[in-house]
Amino acid sequence: MVDMKNVNVHYSSGVDALVDIDLHVNDGEFVFIVGGNGAGKSTLMKLMMREISPSSGRVFVNGRNLGTLKGNKIAMFRRSIGVVFQEFRLIQDYTVYENVAYALRVADSSAKTIRQRVPYVLNLVEMGSKARQKVKELSGGEQQRVAIARALANDPGLLIVDEPTGNLDPKHSYELVGLLKEINRCGTTVIMITHEHNLVRYFGGRIINLDKGSITFDETIGGSDYYEE
Amino acid sequence: MRSNNVSYLVKKGVSSVWKNFVMSFASFSILLVSLLQISVVVLFIMNANIIMGNIEDTNQIAIFVEDNENETKEQHEKKVEHIRDVLTANKNLTDVKYVSKEEAAEKWSQSMSGEYGNLINMVPGGNPMPETFTARVTDVKTIRFIVTEIESIEGVEQVNAPYDFANALINIRDAFTVIIFAMLGILIIVSIVVISNTIRTSVFARRNEISIMKYVGATNGFIKLPFFVEGCFVGILAGAASWGLSCFIYSSVFSLFTDNITLWQMFGFFNLIPLDSIRWILLLANCAAGALLGAAGTLISMNKYLKV
Repeated sequence: MVDMKNVNVHYSSGVDALVDIDLHVNDGEFVFIVGGNGAGKSTLMKLMMREISPSSGRVFVNGRNLGTLKGNKIAMFRRSIGVVFQEFRLIQDYTVYENVAYALRVADSSAKTIRQRVPYVLNLVEMGSKARQKVKELSGGEQQRVAIARALANDPGLLIVDEPTGNLDPKHSYELVGLLKEINRCGTTVIMITHEHNLVRYFGGRIINLDKGSITFDETIGGSDYYEE
Repeated sequence: MRSNNVSYLVKKGVSSVWKNFVMSFASFSILLVSLLQISVVVLFIMNANIIMGNIEDTNQIAIFVEDNENETKEQHEKKVEHIRDVLTANKNLTDVKYVSKEEAAEKWSQSMSGEYGNLINMVPGGNPMPETFTARVTDVKTIRFIVTEIESIEGVEQVNAPYDFANALINIRDAFTVIIFAMLGILIIVSIVVISNTIRTSVFARRNEISIMKYVGATNGFIKLPFFVEGCFVGILAGAASWGLSCFIYSSVFSLFTDNITLWQMFGFFNLIPLDSIRWILLLANCAAGALLGAAGTLISMNKYLKV
């Protein structure tokens, strides 16, 4: 699903954002990527969605060598993955329905597919009843659910989630990660980037820790029932 | 792309005009001012060309037929006929007219007042007026070349041409052409810069929307289409408004000239293009230019934000 070999990212400012990264994520895994500020988490995400290219090394996602993608092939690749951002990145003037439908339209889906798929994914994230509401009228937690619905619209095999709980209170954060776990149980590979260790400890699973651009920890741990606010 | 998605994007483009009303209005206003300026200048050029043509039409050259005492009447008539044929066949000449000695004398007599008109009959040796052809050159710039050509015709004694008048006209026309096209060029460049800056501000305000579209896998074409439609639509509205104002200004200027026809006739202004004959072409040109400028300004301004 995701395969990185000897990946280095060196920014023109002189910063080595990622150093010699070797990472393999299998189909169906749920992976937490953790680390402090400046650890390289966001750079890793940008690499996986082909926003940037590595300075050296190779990045494969869904079997595609991202280093060779150019122009519209990048757009085609992005349709094959789902991405959720901390700040939601929804089109505020669109309704909930339109935001989710947009992801289907860019993939040139038929009107019938859009009519069937949008309510399905909205119900999956329990937002079906708010389909006609403008996104700007929703709470942060609701907007994040809409963002997840949009990411799932094209039925991607891989969901990359960047700090999805950053703008949510603890209760909604746990609910959201619970939802992502459910989605993972249905077969979607989920890579979640976070700096919230409480959440990681609670849910458990494969944890990859980044520090100063390098992987310092890559283990699977068990979850705990201890709910920490 | 499927038709349902194309029609969706077109609808989005049109509805964005109202959703982003303030920025759309700014783009509309800038487009309107630019189009109005260009439209007025183009109308001025069109009419100025007509006026210049009118002035040029007043140029006249006189071709004197050789008066040979040794030739017979038949030979002379044959010579005159030959000159007439050559002049008529020349595409650079119009209004070729033959003026006989008698007609010339008659004209001269009529131009003189009272008894002086009879003076011509008192000249020893008979009618002294020359036998001539008159003609006008179609393009005053070629007058020297044409005169040389005519002088080489057998039986032509001399050609008189208004060289000073022609030179002055040529200089005026050349200077006019340079000034007008420089003005038009500057106006178009300034318009494009101002328009693309205004639209850039509008696109900048929506850069997040564009980046979101890129992240969910939209191609550049898919993102550009609604913006393109929006730019075209605003441009067409601005074009229509510019057309209305142009027509108003033009008809006001037109009536100013036609109401004082005797005064303006002197300057060759009597033949302005009537508004009715250009009204719909003007509408089409304004709307097409508006759509083109609006769409081009939008697309140029967008490229920066598509690199995500």
